[in-house]
Amino acid sequence: MVVDADKSGDSQPSASSNDLALDLHHVTKIYRRKIHALRGIEMQVHPGEVFGLLGPNGAGKSTLVKIMMTVVRPTKAHGTVLGRRIGHKATLRRVGYLPEHHHFPRYLTGYEALTFYGAMAKMPRQARRRRAWELLETVGMKDWAKTRVGQYSKGMMQRVGLAQALVNDPDLIVLDEPTDGVDPVGRRDIRDVLLHLRSQGKTVFLNSHLLSELEMICDRVAILVDGSVERQGMLDDLTAESQRYEVTVQGDVPDGLCEGQPWRVVSLGDDQSSVVLPGAAAADVQPVIDALRAAGLTIVSVSPKRESLEDLFMRTVEDPGSNDSSRDDGEHST
Amino acid sequence: MMQTLAILHDAYRELNARKLFWFVLVISGVVVGAFAAIGINDEGLTIFFWTIRLPFTTAIMSEEMFYKLMFVNLGIGFWLGWIATILALVSTAGIIPDFISGGSIDLILSKPIGRLRLYLTKYIAGLLFVTLQVAVFSIASYLVIGIRGNAWEPGLFMAVPIVVCFYSYLFCVCTLLGLLTRSTMAALLLTLLFWFFTFSLNTTENVVLMGRLFSDREIAGRVEELDRFRGQLVEGSQTPQQERLRERIDDRENDLEHAREIGARWVKAHRISFAVKTSLPKTAETIDLLERVLVSSAELEAVAEADDSGGAVMTFGSGGRYVDQAALQMDLIEELRRRSVWWIVGTSLGFEAVVLAIGGWFFCRRDF
Repeated sequence: MVVDADKSGDSQPSASSNDLALDLHHVTKIYRRKIHALRGIEMQVHPGEVFGLLGPNGAGKSTLVKIMMTVVRPTKAHGTVLGRRIGHKATLRRVGYLPEHHHFPRYLTGYEALTFYGAMAKMPRQARRRRAWELLETVGMKDWAKTRVGQYSKGMMQRVGLAQALVNDPDLIVLDEPTDGVDPVGRRDIRDVLLHLRSQGKTVFLNSHLLSELEMICDRVAILVDGSVERQGMLDDLTAESQRYEVTVQGDVPDGLCEGQPWRVVSLGDDQSSVVLPGAAAADVQPVIDALRAAGLTIVSVSPKRESLEDLFMRTVEDPGSNDSSRDDGEHST
Repeated sequence: MMQTLAILHDAYRELNARKLFWFVLVISGVVVGAFAAIGINDEGLTIFFWTIRLPFTTAIMSEEMFYKLMFVNLGIGFWLGWIATILALVSTAGIIPDFISGGSIDLILSKPIGRLRLYLTKYIAGLLFVTLQVAVFSIASYLVIGIRGNAWEPGLFMAVPIVVCFYSYLFCVCTLLGLLTRSTMAALLLTLLFWFFTFSLNTTENVVLMGRLFSDREIAGRVEELDRFRGQLVEGSQTPQQERLRERIDDRENDLEHAREIGARWVKAHRISFAVKTSLPKTAETIDLLERVLVSSAELEAVAEADDSGGAVMTFGSGGRYVDQAALQMDLIEELRRRSVWWIVGTSLGFEAVVLAIGGWFFCRRDF
């Protein structure tokens, strides 16, 4: 295995690499010389954004995260984490990480676990004790601080796990399935914590398959399919291509209306039908409304529609490589 | 340093949470209690306040010697060297497999600490179990021997480094196996097997050594006898007596030749077993170092002479009458005691270093 990580963050292809929280190039992982887990990942994450990594099971999401966290050694990797080369141990002091299915030693209490991992991140004793209490309060686990983690429920483990990832007050927080096994209230709490982190200017890298949650908080996303990045970019931009207006009317739409236009008519039943105008702006819709009204039809609704993240995800996963032009090159910034 | 302390503190918590740790400590207390209960006086052995009349009295060994030997042979040799060690292995075999289990190792590897340092610190933390156990046991024994035997022997505390050193030979193998198999059970059983192997090898080497020493003594005895016979020869004399003597000398020369051949075989066999043993950890001999520290050869000899009950000693070949069994025993003890501490501990630690290096290499290279 050749680990081909750059010796310093200076010799990066991109001039602005040192400003990026994460700047990955050619990240490749081949297990036992034949299983290609990652096939040259290119990925950029800007400071202060919430970045979502999604992909079907086995796409290589966790492997990528583990390479960033030095848990797995890459077959090949260029790039930087917080401006230092991948695999630079000292940088991890500024990184917080919650692994998938993490578990703490059962004999530790929640509080002891936090102070232990704080010490491993080289925090001074007083600071880590204070921080542990603060965080237990933040994640709503203060009452359980002195209980051994062996008695925690799955949701409690995730809460304390999240607190663990924040104990060293990191600049970059990497969370692998943070809401796994957490009830809706817990998910909302975790989401609030993440939004609070963003407001503090922290970078959050989120690995999840709960698309609706990512949609709520992510600024940018990347979709990983079979070890390659299929899509990457601002969530708004990625779904913009599917932006459309739908004008719903009572009655039948006259036949000639859509001629020569990319529009189509969808019958909704109950004597209602919709005119779908892909990629249309509000101004484009006005003449259509006029025409429909002129034809004596009643307008029921006019609504801008946009593809959900789930639609985008499904489209990408089911037909990878279909829309290469939409690949993001890291130019967008929040 | 902060990280190292945190790992050691964590190891202590882990031990504390294990019932077996406290269980072993309690039994240690019972063993020391038994020391305190058993005594020796001029009439025989005592248990609490009863005296059992036996020929085994203070005429054979002093109270001090009795307690020292009891500490060395029962306390260290039997309890710490066997039972407590097995229990310690059972307790600590899980440390590495637990440590590298998925979801747990990720947390620790993502912290700013080098993998090799992590591995070695975790290894040392595993030795904490035995260190604490031996330390407590030694302190208690020191008090008991001091109070009961009137011997305040600080040399007793050499048990701590010696037993920890002995345990580390086994634990390094256990650590490596735990890393490779990820299974507590496999690591434990294979380590016990390895221990059994080194133990058998040690026994084999001792038996072969005994054979060599026996044959040395036999050859020496035969040479002496031949010299005596030759001294009785009168040059040119043809008396029947002298003729018989000559025949006898011829016979004995043949026997000596034969004994020398066998002796050469013993030497070769011993050389091989010794070489194999040199490359492996010397568990039994390391534990025996404590006896060397506490009991001098002269004291042992005195005890051996006083207790001349003539226990069954194995004989090798037909040369039994040339060999004084008691002397042979002392030969063996002296030969074993002549082996330098550096040979016993140094080569064992060399083996340990190699095993740790292999483990560290695997740990640093591995994907989790």
